[in-house]
Amino acid sequence: MTLAFLNLTWPTFANGLALGGVYALMAVGIGLVFGVLRLVNFAYGQLIMAGAFALAFGSQWGFPNWASILFCFGVVLGLSVLMDLLVFRPLRTHSPAVMLVATFAVAFLLQNIALLAFGPLGKSAGALAILNAPWDIGGVFIKKIAVISFATAVGCLVILQLLLTRTPLGLHMRAAAMDFRTARLLGVRANWVISGAVIVSGLFAAVSAVMLSVQELTVVPTFGTQDTILVLAGVVLGGLNRPIPATLGGFSIGFANGILGGVLPSNQSQYLPSFLFAAVIVVLLVRPNGLFARGGGTVERV
Amino acid sequence: MTWIRRAVELLAPALLILGTALLALEVSSYLQAYFLDTLVKVAIVVALYVFIGNSGVLSFGHVSFVAVGAWTAGVLTVPEDQKRITMPGLAHFLLTTSVGNVASLVLAAVVGGIFAFAVGLPLMRLSGLAAGIATFGVLEITNNVLTYEQRIGPGLNAFSSVPSTTGIWQATIGGLVCVVVAYAYQRTRFSRMLRATREDPAAAAAAGISIYRQRLLAFTLSGALAGFAGGLYVHLQPLQAGSLSLNLTFVTLAMLVVGGSGSLLGAVVGALALNGIFSFFSAATNTVDVLGWSFTVPSGTAELTLGMLMAIVLILRPNGLTGGRELSLPRRRSVADLEKARATT
Amino acid sequence: MTALTVEKLSIRYGAVEAVRGLSLEVKPGEIVGLIGPNGAGKSSTLHAIMGAAPVTGGDVRLDGTSLVGRRPEDVARRGIALVPEGRRIFGELTVDENLRLGLAGRRRGRNGGGLTRAFDLFPILREFRSRQAGVLSGGQQQQLAIGRALVADPDVLLLDEPSLGLAPKIVDVVFEALTQIRDSGLGVLLVEQRAQRTVALADRSHVLANGELRLTLGPEDASDTDRLVAAYLA
Ligand SMILES: Nc1ncnc2c1ncn2[C@@H]1O[C@H](COP(=O)(O)OP(=O)(O)O)[C@@H](O)[C@H]1O
Ligand SMILES: [Mg+2]
Repeated sequence: MTLAFLNLTWPTFANGLALGGVYALMAVGIGLVFGVLRLVNFAYGQLIMAGAFALAFGSQWGFPNWASILFCFGVVLGLSVLMDLLVFRPLRTHSPAVMLVATFAVAFLLQNIALLAFGPLGKSAGALAILNAPWDIGGVFIKKIAVISFATAVGCLVILQLLLTRTPLGLHMRAAAMDFRTARLLGVRANWVISGAVIVSGLFAAVSAVMLSVQELTVVPTFGTQDTILVLAGVVLGGLNRPIPATLGGFSIGFANGILGGVLPSNQSQYLPSFLFAAVIVVLLVRPNGLFARGGGTVERV
Repeated sequence: MTWIRRAVELLAPALLILGTALLALEVSSYLQAYFLDTLVKVAIVVALYVFIGNSGVLSFGHVSFVAVGAWTAGVLTVPEDQKRITMPGLAHFLLTTSVGNVASLVLAAVVGGIFAFAVGLPLMRLSGLAAGIATFGVLEITNNVLTYEQRIGPGLNAFSSVPSTTGIWQATIGGLVCVVVAYAYQRTRFSRMLRATREDPAAAAAAGISIYRQRLLAFTLSGALAGFAGGLYVHLQPLQAGSLSLNLTFVTLAMLVVGGSGSLLGAVVGALALNGIFSFFSAATNTVDVLGWSFTVPSGTAELTLGMLMAIVLILRPNGLTGGRELSLPRRRSVADLEKARATT
Repeated sequence: MTALTVEKLSIRYGAVEAVRGLSLEVKPGEIVGLIGPNGAGKSSTLHAIMGAAPVTGGDVRLDGTSLVGRRPEDVARRGIALVPEGRRIFGELTVDENLRLGLAGRRRGRNGGGLTRAFDLFPILREFRSRQAGVLSGGQQQQLAIGRALVADPDVLLLDEPSLGLAPKIVDVVFEALTQIRDSGLGVLLVEQRAQRTVALADRSHVLANGELRLTLGPEDASDTDRLVAAYLA
């Protein structure tokens, strides 16, 4: 059974869904922090890179997989919190441009720390590579990691949705993203809301690190950078301020990336980033506020 | 004496460049390379400043104009017999056309300007994050195309056999040209209008200023300067597409922001200071002598220091070292000035 | 119960001195009016009480404890609730979610009346509790804004021009609600432009102009239009 369309096969389709899922997680991770801080975190990819290195070291040191994954979560979360305390909060009242450049600086810094510590060739990735083996699903062979990635992403997003809609912290986070000033006047604690967003964002970065590093043979200091740039484009495409549009934007670009990467012949697929970015630019020109955004949101800062 | 004040606005950055050039003449030819590199960075950062400083809008796309400038000047100056060997895939027209050094720089500026104009035509309608991401897209697309398209350049390889005409003279004059053009633009009413849109877009629009046109003009001019700087760069060292991408974007933006993106002086100071520090640590990877104390640092220290410095400056002095102001003479108030001041209040 | 004291309060935004040396007091079970022309400094005063405007002099105390320098969320959690100018409803959230947002200002260990209190005062909110707040009419939104402030079970309620842009009939509903709120023992500081109605309702009304206190009026002055006009023009 094949999808009789271009060279699209079920495995390619599954890879597209999986990459879409991971990009959607990253998009939400970036979007949540943007919601409460009005800050686009360029260094998100470096969180993922750090997580991937943690996994690689875990397996080098002979940790069992669950321990490597735990280690990865610890490193990414710790780094997120540090980034928040040392950079985001001191810059909270500055202009968006300054904050953007600052996170750019952090990204550069972390990348070079990795370069300094681990060298340009990086490390061979963790022991999770076995997940690249296929599962036989009704005669179609689909990589285990594709199924796991997609399922994990959906699971994470459902949990997030429950957090946002069913808990006071989630309600506070949504309100803060809409109008931080008024939310604070009602008693919403700025610090808690920001910490909540940073932690969830960090958790999603860790999950993404695990999923993305399975498919790579080596982890290098630039790991995740290209993905993050694409996700950023996707998030802006969807509409930054709201979780669902951001998710859709991230998913779309990941899905397109995964599908086109599998379908295009290699002399065209090398231009894949160009196609994706050209599409993003065209969409932005037509709908500057994003593809899925309704009306104008409040963009007040604290 | 307003003309003196104006002259200082131009002289301060120009003298800084000349000072750097004089220092460069004093050091060994090995260290001189770092000074030349710094002067080229000044040119790039000043080009960046013409748009970002005057409009207040961030652009992540300027390095693509540097890159097309470098490609133009590079492809057109590699000797034809060399081209056949190093860039066999080159389009016939490019293969057979060669120009001199100065012509290649002029063409680099022209191509940079045209490219910026073409990109700006649609993109200058955007603002805020959408504009940021779109310019980022331009950078990624340009880099992607230059990396793989062998009809217009060396593709994945570095340029080889580009005449190294960017010596101390060319680097200095190049830097000065950028500063003078930036200054001249800054004195026009176009720049004043653009700055007005930065301070208060609504009021500027109400006064009949077209934000779009003014931004497009500055974007084009700054693209031309960036292309020119790219030409200087390719005549200085063998470049490849990978070195004209994210890292250079970051480094040059860092220089502008650290110096103070609001002023020409800030752009020059930022480029000199950061690239100076950067060069020092790069040189120190092969041991440097400081006052008789020689030391070596691991490679990557330069980048690390730069990133840290930038973060610190951003947190402590978000308007940059110069605070975004030009150097101005302390105002010694004459009696006439005081009279005038009293009359207006 | 708790009294709010504002003493010689000064507020400055850069070069603009919005309020100079304002003193007033709100005791439990009373409504204090603060009226004055646009730009007089009324909203600034409320924001300064909440810790959301720069205080350059004087003091704000709740039951003797100074509030100056505290964060807005901490002031809210000490028992002062603000109904902001322009209502500031979260239009994309439901009525219910807006009300539950008000619970953020609840003090530790207090359950208060919670949502039922708001529903009892404004039955319309119960009826529309699962609707998007953005689709409510202006009057309903104002009721929601007041309800949202009350679910935190505050001791002091600050209102910034609650009658702004409302039809006269709705204004009656809002002012009637304020009377009930007062009778339940809260202190109310009511900023208004409808001078006459405010003076008639409030136990005391202060007239603010150009950042300074001009005059204090009692309910008996409500019919004395000349005095009101003179105060505004002073
Ligand atoms: N955030 C602010 N920044 C600068 N000036 C302000 C700000 N808020 C209010 N002002 C100024 O303070 C003065 C008082 O404003 P406000 O308190 O809003 O008056 P009112 O509510 O009585 O109409 C006005 O001159 C206004 O321009
Ligand atoms: Mg007001």
